[in-house]
Amino acid sequence: MKALSSSVVALLAALSFSVQAAGMADRVEVENPYVRLAPPGARATGAFMVLRNAGEQEAILVKADSSVAKIVELHNHINDGGVMRMRQVKDIRVPAKGETHLKPGSYHVMLIDMKAPLKERDHVIITLDFADGSSKEVHAMVVRPTAGGMEMHKH
Amino acid sequence: MRKLLIALNVFLLLAIVGLALLWHPERRPLPGAGGIGELALADRPAGGDFTLDGPHGEVSLRDYRGKLVLLQFGYTYCPDICPTALVIVAQALAELSPEERARMQALFVSVDPERDDMQRLAAYTAFFHPEILGLSGSIPRLAEMASRYGAMFTRQENASAGGYVIDHTASTYLVDAAGRLVAVLPHATALEQLLAEIRKHLPTS
Repeated sequence: MKALSSSVVALLAALSFSVQAAGMADRVEVENPYVRLAPPGARATGAFMVLRNAGEQEAILVKADSSVAKIVELHNHINDGGVMRMRQVKDIRVPAKGETHLKPGSYHVMLIDMKAPLKERDHVIITLDFADGSSKEVHAMVVRPTAGGMEMHKH
Repeated sequence: MRKLLIALNVFLLLAIVGLALLWHPERRPLPGAGGIGELALADRPAGGDFTLDGPHGEVSLRDYRGKLVLLQFGYTYCPDICPTALVIVAQALAELSPEERARMQALFVSVDPERDDMQRLAAYTAFFHPEILGLSGSIPRLAEMASRYGAMFTRQENASAGGYVIDHTASTYLVDAAGRLVAVLPHATALEQLLAEIRKHLPTS
């Protein structure tokens, strides 16, 4: 009896811990993730997606990783009177009950120096790390670049 | 007297604050910064001939007299802006008839000669469309022709662990068959609008 109740307690503790540990990552849904196929000669390309935050608090993406690239960074573009300035950013924020679009001309995950050349229709795994230590894996497909980039694949 | 001075000070203070809040002098936009950029004579950058390096030797704008030239600036390390711009040009080229395409030339000028040698540039532009020609040159030569077109580029060190990035004007420049700069289109101008502008300025024969 004692063993059962202590194991129930342990189970409950483990469950509540896992709910806490899920955190921001668990409350963010990733929609339509894709990686742009990089042209030959291009060292870098972008991964794009829509981040939807169902949580009551802002979700803060602080890092991204991928096994396909040697360097992965978060970047944004500023359109300064026709001059496009790309800047590395320390985070990408998704407002509570809101969404943030990573899209061409705006925020993106920059993949630099592919370990092997990407091919169209490859599946790339990108890990998104949030400020509270939570993280989630995103499966993105490699697609040929389009102007706006809205390939409709739901994941 | 004292009351008058106080009143005067209050009035001046209000005037200054009011002015600061209400006066919005319009920043004169760069060509291509706003909407579709058909250029009025007063706003038009000089444009003009230039000579850069192509895959098989030097290439001059005047080599394309009699054709409409589409000019863009960028570099291959650019992960987002340049592919978007080139995709739209490629889509436009695909929409045009072969006969229309024969009356124009798309140029992509790399402002990053340090990384973008002719081989890399050719492989890059060919990915988008075989008829886009990649050019580059020395930084002083690039800077000189860019400024005549009202374009600019600036190297930014430490912007990325992968190396420097280059801020650059992302507009598309249309030079007519007589070598005159006639339009500057903002980055990511929709395909339909780009096609309309191209067809408007294509030489008639």
